[in-house]
Amino acid sequence: MRHQNATAYRFLAPYLLIFSVFWVWPIISSFLISFQATRTVPWRWAPTFNWGRLIGDPAFFNALKNTLLILVIQVPVMISLAIVMAVLLNSPLLKARGLYRFAFFAPVVVGEVAYSAVFRLMFNLNFGIINKLLNSVGLPSIDWFSNVTPAMALIMIAVTWRWAGYNAIILLAGLQSIPDDVYEAATLDRVSKVKQFFYITLPLLKPIIVFCAVLSIIGTMQLFTEPFLITERGGPGGGTETLGLLLYRQGFRSLNFGYASAVAYTMAGLAIAITLVQLWLTKEPK
Amino acid sequence: MAAVTLSNVVKRFGVYEIIHGANIDIADGEFVVFVGPSGCGKSTLLRMVAGLEDISGGEIAIGGKVMNDVEAAERGIAMVFQSYALYPHMTVEQNLSFGLRMNGNPKADTERRVKRAAEILCIDELMQRRPKQLSGGQRQRVAIGRAIVREPQVFLFDEPLSNLDAELRVQMRVEISRLHKELGVTMIYVTHDQTEAMTLADRIVVLKAGNVEQIGAPLDLYDDPANRFVAGFIGSPKMNFLAAKVVEADNGSATVELVNHAGARLKKPLQTTPPAVGADVVLGVRPEHFFDAGQGDCDIAVKADVAEHLGSVSYVYADAGGTELIIEREASRHRASGDDLVVSIKAGKALLFDTKGARIR
Repeated sequence: MRHQNATAYRFLAPYLLIFSVFWVWPIISSFLISFQATRTVPWRWAPTFNWGRLIGDPAFFNALKNTLLILVIQVPVMISLAIVMAVLLNSPLLKARGLYRFAFFAPVVVGEVAYSAVFRLMFNLNFGIINKLLNSVGLPSIDWFSNVTPAMALIMIAVTWRWAGYNAIILLAGLQSIPDDVYEAATLDRVSKVKQFFYITLPLLKPIIVFCAVLSIIGTMQLFTEPFLITERGGPGGGTETLGLLLYRQGFRSLNFGYASAVAYTMAGLAIAITLVQLWLTKEPK
Repeated sequence: MAAVTLSNVVKRFGVYEIIHGANIDIADGEFVVFVGPSGCGKSTLLRMVAGLEDISGGEIAIGGKVMNDVEAAERGIAMVFQSYALYPHMTVEQNLSFGLRMNGNPKADTERRVKRAAEILCIDELMQRRPKQLSGGQRQRVAIGRAIVREPQVFLFDEPLSNLDAELRVQMRVEISRLHKELGVTMIYVTHDQTEAMTLADRIVVLKAGNVEQIGAPLDLYDDPANRFVAGFIGSPKMNFLAAKVVEADNGSATVELVNHAGARLKKPLQTTPPAVGADVVLGVRPEHFFDAGQGDCDIAVKADVAEHLGSVSYVYADAGGTELIIEREASRHRASGDDLVVSIKAGKALLFDTKGARIR
């Protein structure tokens, strides 16, 4: 048996080597770097340097606030929207289901730069279609890029557009795993369709909803593309800067890898903590 | 309680007609079993009664009221599904009370009904468990309990025992029979298992390919089947069929000779015009209607192949000139493989069918 295992590990060795060098070591290394002052040459060991700065850094708390704000507002809205989309996709009344499924999933495969450019055009103050639509119903134009609140809203709209369909497809798979006869039994029990949704569909879909929420929380904690490309590096004035963007700015603009590592570990820790709390809150009774 | 009437009921899925004009009258309080092979339309028919399938043609009435356009929820029926269809996230108690709670039934009445169902089905101890913590038999009881609490006019059962093991199936069969006696409610039960049909039903409806082949009491179907399909489907082990030819016919009887047994002739009294001399016919003989040599009207020689010993009786699988026969013998008189055996057939116990399967009476 031991000999067999050794053979297996020899086959796995090339992968394990690459995995260790490019995956495990950077994780350990970045953790160690977070305890070093990296803006001096050579780097020096200073355990409280970056972590101490983090606690008192207004830029970090601004990024944390923005990230959590997006998380608290955008994730529930997107998951709710995804559930509605999934239920509609699952309706036997819907024709051309395959086409809708593709349309819902398409935003995920569209290039990030292309989609960001289109969003910038759509939300442009002077000639964007969104402001034209607002004007057409008598509402004033909104300067989506110069004010913090509209800029945050824009980020949330963009992220929701991009990921709601993806989550809807996952939820659709969950919906399709609920047996039809459970609904038939409920129908014979004289339970209305609306009550069936709230008392049967949602509880049975809960594990999938939690899964989508966890994925979304992790994704939002790492949010980078939209504030970088759409609101131009977290603008206006850092109003949409997220933790991901702060990490990038510190690590790759200021070359302060120690501080960037501390931010990265904080993001990972927060994502794990929020996910654990959520899993605990939605735990199935034994 | 209510009578159920199906008049010329037709079901089509697109261009395919699945049920071809079924006419069935089910009396108030009767236990009727729809039986037939897979794909015969029995479950579809039941689902049409339940309102879970549209009716393409004809009428279904429950308690004298035509139900074609009445929603499933308003038909006063309760259904037990093959897969149990319990709500997996609810406890047994919640499963039983869910429908009543959702419809604003008074709490005290809901509790009374749930308690009564639990007592009838002996599931009091399971009330706080979830379906995944129950065995198949327990789940089935809960599914039946959910039907009981609705206090329906008609119970519908869609192959409720098919997921249970043999022993539990027998036990649940007895319990369903007892439940029918206790509640006295009209019950319609779908199964492909003719033993279930025979043991449970007041009357059986035999279906084949969307047609009602025969309706009758279990023993009437057994003793007096309308055609070869019913004769072969009802009874276990199934009826034996032997090819024969009419060699003499007069007013009131026909003499047939078995094709693979030259000289083996049987004079069968008939109430209708006998088939013409030379016509091919089929002789149907139940396994228990083979007698010892010389005790019937016609002897045939067979070669025993395999014997199944069930204790009280044995079934001998024998070759009769290329046709396999199943012969019931007393346990002590079974034959070993390869033995020659002579058995006898009595005209009064044999049934005659034409080559299309219709009974010649």
